[in-house]
Amino acid sequence: MTVLGGIGLGAPWLLAALFALPILWLILRAVPPAPVRRRFPGVALLLGLKDGETVTDRTPWWLLLLRILAVAALIIGLAQPILNPDNFSNEITGPKLIVIDGSWAGAVGHTQQMQSIKGEIDRATSAGQLVAVLQITDPKPLKFHPAAVAGPSVAGLKPNPWLPSPDNVAQAITHITNANASSVVWFSDGVAYEGQDDILSALNAAQDLRIFQGTQQVVGLTPAQYVDGTINVTTLRANAIGDQAVTILAQGRDPLGYDATLARVTAQFSGRENVANAPLVLPAELRARVTSFEIEGIRSAGARTLVDNTFQRREVALVAGRRGREGLELLSPLHYLNVALEPTADILTGALADVLPANPDVIILADVATLSAEETEKLLVWTEAGGLLLRFAGPRVAASDISRAIEDPLMPVRLRSGGRSVGGAMSWGEPNTIAPFSATSPFFGLKVPDYVLVNAQVVAQPDPTLAARVIAQLSDGTPLVTRKSVGQGQVVLFHVTANAEWSSLPFSVLFVEMLERLAVSSPISAPSIEDLEGTVWTPRQVMDGFGVLRDAGMMPSVDGPDLVAADPSAILLPGIYTSGDRTLARNVLADGDVLNAAKWPDTVTVSSYSTVSPHQLGGPLLGLALLLLLVDVIASLALSGKLLGQVSRSTIALITLGLIGLDGPPAHAQTVDIDVASELALAHIVTGNTEVDDIAYAGLRGLSDILFFRTSIEPQAPVSINLETDELALFPIIYWPITLEQPRPSVEAYAKLNTYLRSGGLIIFDTRDANVAGFGSASPNGRKLQDLAKSMNIPSLEPTPSDHVLTRAFYLLQDFPGRYVGRDVWVEAAPIDAQQADGMPFRNLNDGVTPVVIGGNDWAGAWATASSGAPLLPVGRGFGGERQRELANRFGVNLVMYVLTGNYKSDQVHVPALLERLGQ
Amino acid sequence: MNTPATLRARSEDQAARLPPLLARAEQLAGAVLLGDHGRRRAGSGDDFWQYRPAQIGDSRRMIDHRRSALGDQQFVREREWQIAQTVMLWCDQGASMRFNSVDTLPTKMGRARLLTMSLAILLNRGGERVGMTGTRLPPRRGNAQILRLAEMLSEEDSAEYAPPEHSAMIPNAAAMFASDFLGDMAPVELALTKAADRGVRGVLLQVLDPSEEEFAFHGRTIFESVGGSMRHETLKANDLRDRYLARLAQRKDELQRLCTRTGWQYGLHNTEKSPQSGLLWLYQAISGGAHL
Repeated sequence: MTVLGGIGLGAPWLLAALFALPILWLILRAVPPAPVRRRFPGVALLLGLKDGETVTDRTPWWLLLLRILAVAALIIGLAQPILNPDNFSNEITGPKLIVIDGSWAGAVGHTQQMQSIKGEIDRATSAGQLVAVLQITDPKPLKFHPAAVAGPSVAGLKPNPWLPSPDNVAQAITHITNANASSVVWFSDGVAYEGQDDILSALNAAQDLRIFQGTQQVVGLTPAQYVDGTINVTTLRANAIGDQAVTILAQGRDPLGYDATLARVTAQFSGRENVANAPLVLPAELRARVTSFEIEGIRSAGARTLVDNTFQRREVALVAGRRGREGLELLSPLHYLNVALEPTADILTGALADVLPANPDVIILADVATLSAEETEKLLVWTEAGGLLLRFAGPRVAASDISRAIEDPLMPVRLRSGGRSVGGAMSWGEPNTIAPFSATSPFFGLKVPDYVLVNAQVVAQPDPTLAARVIAQLSDGTPLVTRKSVGQGQVVLFHVTANAEWSSLPFSVLFVEMLERLAVSSPISAPSIEDLEGTVWTPRQVMDGFGVLRDAGMMPSVDGPDLVAADPSAILLPGIYTSGDRTLARNVLADGDVLNAAKWPDTVTVSSYSTVSPHQLGGPLLGLALLLLLVDVIASLALSGKLLGQVSRSTIALITLGLIGLDGPPAHAQTVDIDVASELALAHIVTGNTEVDDIAYAGLRGLSDILFFRTSIEPQAPVSINLETDELALFPIIYWPITLEQPRPSVEAYAKLNTYLRSGGLIIFDTRDANVAGFGSASPNGRKLQDLAKSMNIPSLEPTPSDHVLTRAFYLLQDFPGRYVGRDVWVEAAPIDAQQADGMPFRNLNDGVTPVVIGGNDWAGAWATASSGAPLLPVGRGFGGERQRELANRFGVNLVMYVLTGNYKSDQVHVPALLERLGQ
Repeated sequence: MNTPATLRARSEDQAARLPPLLARAEQLAGAVLLGDHGRRRAGSGDDFWQYRPAQIGDSRRMIDHRRSALGDQQFVREREWQIAQTVMLWCDQGASMRFNSVDTLPTKMGRARLLTMSLAILLNRGGERVGMTGTRLPPRRGNAQILRLAEMLSEEDSAEYAPPEHSAMIPNAAAMFASDFLGDMAPVELALTKAADRGVRGVLLQVLDPSEEEFAFHGRTIFESVGGSMRHETLKANDLRDRYLARLAQRKDELQRLCTRTGWQYGLHNTEKSPQSGLLWLYQAISGGAHL
């Protein structure tokens, strides 16, 4: 193979033929184009004229260029050019094994990896090798196939959401040893895992080992930790290469329930660190809605960590010992609690017995001293099950005997009688401040504002256990907040009131922060293995290697301890698991995991993915040559005028139709509407009887022609309308021939018809039976008409009076013959009070246009013409018949004029009076 | 060929062409108002023309007493001359007329027929007698004549360039010849001089296709007549353009000269233009210029 400028050539000597192109140019140039034959009547004038110069006309240069290009493409195409020719030796023809790690770490560079694998398979195809693919995270016994067979199955390889486990590695080594491949390509994900060296040594047995590794940094997130009001997300990276910033997105739902990015924080790796922490402080409202954290721009299971309901809003029940007096809200014991908790928690209020069944996370008792035995018992059970009982002292507690001699189970400490007050008008000393919090206190780190003063408190009885239970104290060492555990829950006592009576604590930021720490650091934290002993967890949503959550479907449940302790695998996919009410998120990386870059011995070379693969150019070039020759054929035909000859024109039409695919009809209805709406068109109802419909159409066509010739109305071609599907409002007049077999329109169609009649349309019913029995029910068509019109909004009718506008809208008519000469044509009755004025030729009739005209003269039959204009059906006999047809046409003209101009003719009668008035 | 079946089929084919021609011609004719149909001279007729002072020789009965009673002078009331005239029509049916350069344009034949037919309808409405030159359709009045005329006009002639039919011309009638006049000029000259001899004046309408007036061809071309009997080959058609146009202009001049000599009027109609303009000119020329 010869390589010229990055393009390899299979048969380079063929290019010598390119030198022949200039000769071809000269030859083609000399050939004149074929003469054009033209019909031309003026040829008589041309006879005898001689051509001025007898030089041959030349082929146009562009046609020459086209032909030369076609031949050049052909020559180069036959020389077997290859883009990006392969530099690897293809001498090894034994079976080829493609090994991929297939863990989540490879999800980032998955596309490039797949391209490279495809390139390897293409090479194997050209070398005629057998190919097998081994995914270490999911090792299966190897089967070698011809590359063409193996190729398509590779496309289905997806990264798994776990790193190769020791089990996987052991199986993979077994398979590799059994396969005994002669050449091996290993696509590593770039992350070190246990047993990588073993695999490498197993693969070293092959003649040819090449290792590819993506250049992209592998990053991962460990589960988010909520510590002291801060969410800590730890970011890991595999390659500790200098400073690097990674943006972490907190994903969750917005208040409407849609997925949204709630916050973003940047983790900064520095120097040779491969762990970075990103503390994130979120308002409780937002924090409760976080569902996962992920690294921006990275799609992999490791770069996404799911959050269960750990951060969710707490339910807090507030119970006060006394109701606040009306109008003294600031004195209410619950006011400051309400204000402090409202944004962060769901607050329940009510009597203790009412709120307990709701099983709140926290119950706050503000100055509640005595509880009934039953309440105490229930509260104790609730607390032992993990509830947080928060109590505030107050005058009642101070005055009661609660926890005096024996420690109350629902009090953290024993209390001295009466309490104490400091800094008041009747006491010595100054109001006390709060001492800084000790390191063991949950409040540790909170800043104590100096304006917080305590005037009165209940005092704890000194006890051996007291020191351990104090979590906040005054500057003089008296306990301010005490706490004890009860079962899984705890009881906390503030030795002051929840309102501002005894201290200014409730005013302060400290109060809110203390509440937050207490309310949040209660029971639901990461469970331990012991906690989960004996529980069974069902997967709800699981992640694939790309970090995409999908419904778990019918996946088997897992044991509780396994869920926490076992490594993720095919049967323990990371995702959201539930057990009863509890929800737990299992993530790819656990707390404390570290990512390390894969380490390769110096003996192997590791290259990055090759993104270019050899590409055969021969086919496209030969195709181009064919295409150019096709263009040449068309251009030559066009030059000689034969392209659009009579024969080829129809051929081209056929070809074009074939190309377009004959999908005209769907657009039909729309265009009909637009056409009809832009021009006047007559319409008839489709009855289903082809003969009647054809005659109705032909009749309207004839009438349209007559209108076109005789009047200023220039209708377009008539339209056949289906009552059920078509819009009626576009037609001023609708012709409805009655047939016995036509179906009754649907209810919707009747609604449309009534709207049409009400809004000024006109329907002309034609029973086509010459009205032999008079207008009534005697004839079958008449009965059918009555049946059809029953549901329509038709006014009272009368036979057309002789002074009706219809008799003089354009022509003066006495009767209205069609193919038959029936006497009566029925229209809307004139109002009863219409009277003939003196000197007027006709009465001042109704202002509107009759909505219906009913007759039986088969007008369409008389109007009907073929498309050539010749009448279709005979009317009468001889010249008398022609006269009758003429009258029928005149009736049609009158009818359309009447519909379009309304009572204009009727108003014309007033013109003399109007002119007379104007003259004055 | 002449079995009843084929005869029937052919006649129906012929008849099918009639109504559209008629309809289009009627519509076109409807666009021309019959306003200036009068002869513009005194004569026998129904409409008032003018009062003129009575002269010697006028009989007493001719005096209009109503007008004369207004003064001392005596007036004679004259009426406008209205008399039915005879118009002979000839429309070239030769093969050269069956030509249109573009599909969107009508053939010269179609346009010539349409104009002839519309003129006939107009004249018929005006009360004139219309007929074809030659003996096949002598001039008559009435709608039936229009139908017969349409039938005659729907025929086709196989000759390459049909010579004008000039036999049986009625003396002192008017005539209209429509053709492209691209063939031999001798028959045209003969027909016109013969008509002039008999006192027939009229109009010569030359109908041409735009391509015949532009000659926008180039390259190696073989020009064929429509009938296929004549052909002319050239290697550079664009070279011929000027000489062809010169010949065409010469032909037009010749026609114009011939008309001037015989008292006819010469008109040129391009099928690109609307038929209305052609009809208007024709009607003006026939009713005004010719001695109707």
